[in-house]
Amino acid sequence: MKGAEFFVKALEREGVEVIFGYPGGAIMPVYDALLDSKIRHILTRHEQGAALAADGYARASGKVGVCMATSGPGATNLVTGIANAYMDSIPMVAITGQVATPLMGTDAFQEVDIFGITLPVVKHSFLVEKSRELPRVVHEAFRIARSGRPGPVLIDLPKDVANTVAEYQFAESDQDEDLPAPSDESLMRAAELILASRRPVIYAGGGIGMARAVDAFQAFVEKTRIPVIATLKGLGSIPTRHELFLGMMGMHGMKASNIAVQNCDLLICIGARFDDRATGKLSAFAPHAKVIHMDADPSEVGKLRRAEAPVLGDLRKALEALSIPADCDAWRRECLANKVEHAWDYGAPGDGIYAPWFLKRLSQIGGDSMVIACDVGQHQMWVAQHCDFSRPEQHLTSGGLGTMGYGLPAAIGAQIARPDACVINVSGDGSIMMNLQELATLRRYDLPVKIVLIDNHALGMVRQWQELFHDKRYSEVDLSDNPDFARVAEAMGIPAFRVDFRKDTDDAIRRLLAEPGPALAHVVIDQEANVWPIVGPGKSNSEMMDEVRK
Amino acid sequence: MSSVTLRLRLKREEGSLVRVLGLVRRKRFEVVQLRAELAPEGDYLAVRMTLETAREGSAIAAHIEKLLDASHVEVIEAEETDRELRAARVAS
Repeated sequence: MKGAEFFVKALEREGVEVIFGYPGGAIMPVYDALLDSKIRHILTRHEQGAALAADGYARASGKVGVCMATSGPGATNLVTGIANAYMDSIPMVAITGQVATPLMGTDAFQEVDIFGITLPVVKHSFLVEKSRELPRVVHEAFRIARSGRPGPVLIDLPKDVANTVAEYQFAESDQDEDLPAPSDESLMRAAELILASRRPVIYAGGGIGMARAVDAFQAFVEKTRIPVIATLKGLGSIPTRHELFLGMMGMHGMKASNIAVQNCDLLICIGARFDDRATGKLSAFAPHAKVIHMDADPSEVGKLRRAEAPVLGDLRKALEALSIPADCDAWRRECLANKVEHAWDYGAPGDGIYAPWFLKRLSQIGGDSMVIACDVGQHQMWVAQHCDFSRPEQHLTSGGLGTMGYGLPAAIGAQIARPDACVINVSGDGSIMMNLQELATLRRYDLPVKIVLIDNHALGMVRQWQELFHDKRYSEVDLSDNPDFARVAEAMGIPAFRVDFRKDTDDAIRRLLAEPGPALAHVVIDQEANVWPIVGPGKSNSEMMDEVRK
Repeated sequence: MSSVTLRLRLKREEGSLVRVLGLVRRKRFEVVQLRAELAPEGDYLAVRMTLETAREGSAIAAHIEKLLDASHVEVIEAEETDRELRAARVAS
């Protein structure tokens, strides 16, 4: 059997059902073997689309996403998607073809050191130099990608290894290592802090979903009755409609959330990492609080903020052990009163589309089961602020890397993973152009992804920062020469229409959702619309700037 | 500035030392002393390195421990390093 044939069989054995990829010279033996495999291959129109689709697939399904490309430019085009997965701890295996081993190091055609290029953005990587290594490498790659704190793993496969005929045997299956249970001492210390606190806040991060600890987390919240705030990636770890949920925290967080964190006496950080977008000025973040930090990754604890009670290991076990009632009735009432007082006012002036209201209505009309894959920019923050989520896997967003162009391929991956789900891509006129070619992928596979393209004729978030923090010196943010997106979509075989007025909000959403296949709504908004509130650069979360309506 | 000396045992795998050095640089540590040699059995690299940083020195160990090629990571405190160096000088 050829190495490539064994390789594909080994992928099947790891449970791979779908590969997102793009063929080319060095990876041709694997593509040849795929013809005889039950694995479904999704041909994207760019390798970056393949990597980001694999990411979306992984987030929506909880399985390892797999992408594949050839050597050289095929491999380098995967890098952004690999880095995206690394920053957000997404389980992924990226497969790259490589020139034959005798040619490596000779600057051969389409040779690039993808192993070296990706070292900073992978959990681990393999260069398969001997065909006998194939069984171990494939098995290890998947185990590493999904275990502990998940992440991307690269397999670089030289063409001669893929063509080597040999006797292959599958690696012996070993079970994924379970995370250790937290120590009794750490749980005891954390319990003491919870019992002593009168103003506790739960700071929920993406690690809850990654650890498959959502149910344990929700039980923990119900038992402790402590108010919850969430990071961008933590949204959905508790239903956003839950009475104890105060909203997203941080730079574009809800006011009630940021007020709570600034005034709390105990911050219970669960699966989060004190990211600068969440904390604002770190030295002024939660200034009166002791910290319990629960995480699977020891290197995150104490990295940016010292924890009085680090709780390392399996989050589910930690949450179950710490599910004890907290004594914080007065504080809870105060937090919930703040939530009411600072609830969003959707009554913006004018008759143009008001993006927060459009997204709120999208969420309400589409219902709780929608999966929303965002791009990056203002619309991403509006989704986080105004859409409701019941589970983390409903909200696919590029949190760590902030990859413009993420949304459409991620939505493709999510739709492949969950064919019966209503998958929405909310994008902007800047982001959509970064991977616009994937409209052709939508059409090819007739995936019923619905695209809400919010168009303000500008790189909105950068424009907003230039307005607020650079004295309105606008530099290279004008996109008023955008193409007619509805016509572009139609040229790619996707039904599309344009919406300009607020009164048409509900009709447009219903029309979009009623389309049986893919469809695009081109939603035009005011170029000067900003995301509020905002915490300025270097400022504390207590220094939020609010919208002043004219 | 703080200084930390580490003793590592790295699997003899593709890029294992480069992986460690890249991580050290990305975490804003500077290598000021490095010694690496293949163990007599030939299956791992024994590495000893001293790093300087403006950050908390021992934090790097937790990051290196996450690398799958690192089978053993041991922090040697700065004082101990000084003692070892002094002992080495006396011995020579």
